[in-house]
Amino acid sequence: MDETVDETVDETKNSAAGKGSQVMAIVAAIAGWFVPGLGHLLLRRWTKAAVYFLCIGGLACAGLAMRGGIFGSGAEDLFDRLGYFADLGAGVFYFLAHELQAAGPDVAHATGDYGTRLFAAAGMLNLLTVLEAYDIGRGGETK
Amino acid sequence: MNYLFGSLTHFAALVFFAVVVSLTFAFLSKRGAVERAKYALWAFLAFLLVAIGIGWMMYPFSQ
Repeated sequence: MDETVDETVDETKNSAAGKGSQVMAIVAAIAGWFVPGLGHLLLRRWTKAAVYFLCIGGLACAGLAMRGGIFGSGAEDLFDRLGYFADLGAGVFYFLAHELQAAGPDVAHATGDYGTRLFAAAGMLNLLTVLEAYDIGRGGETK
Repeated sequence: MNYLFGSLTHFAALVFFAVVVSLTFAFLSKRGAVERAKYALWAFLAFLLVAIGIGWMMYPFSQ
């Protein structure tokens, strides 16, 4: 079946089942934050779940492979704190960063600096998908 | 992974970033395969054009 039709059928089923539930929305949002795409998977948006996991996971892993810096929670500088929140958005990739990045960060080189931005971008993108998962879970209209 | 991404040039990193973010934006904001493909392509080209444009604008400052 065509993916578009598949998604439309899923959305129709959800609408028929009611307007979604607040609990499901929150569970999907938390799951989606922890593992990119998992929230959409729980909501049976298979294609979106796969795309979000691959794209956001790929971006985060690329950032780590490029030895990008990961912001810690103890930052005193405002920009470092913003960076921490952006990085935290990547969910499990943030918590596994030290394991995945065995050689540690190296922002003295340009590649490491790009890696820092890629990882932060992955976190921000994931937060957008979390909002969408929450919206779908509540039964809101998705685009 | 390290071997693949460890020595990316700035432009290669930009292309990778543009592809991934364009795809995600397309799935976030559009419905239907054709609409998404069009949007992803448009966003990808916009990322590249704007980045190259800004790069050229900053060129005199590097001299």
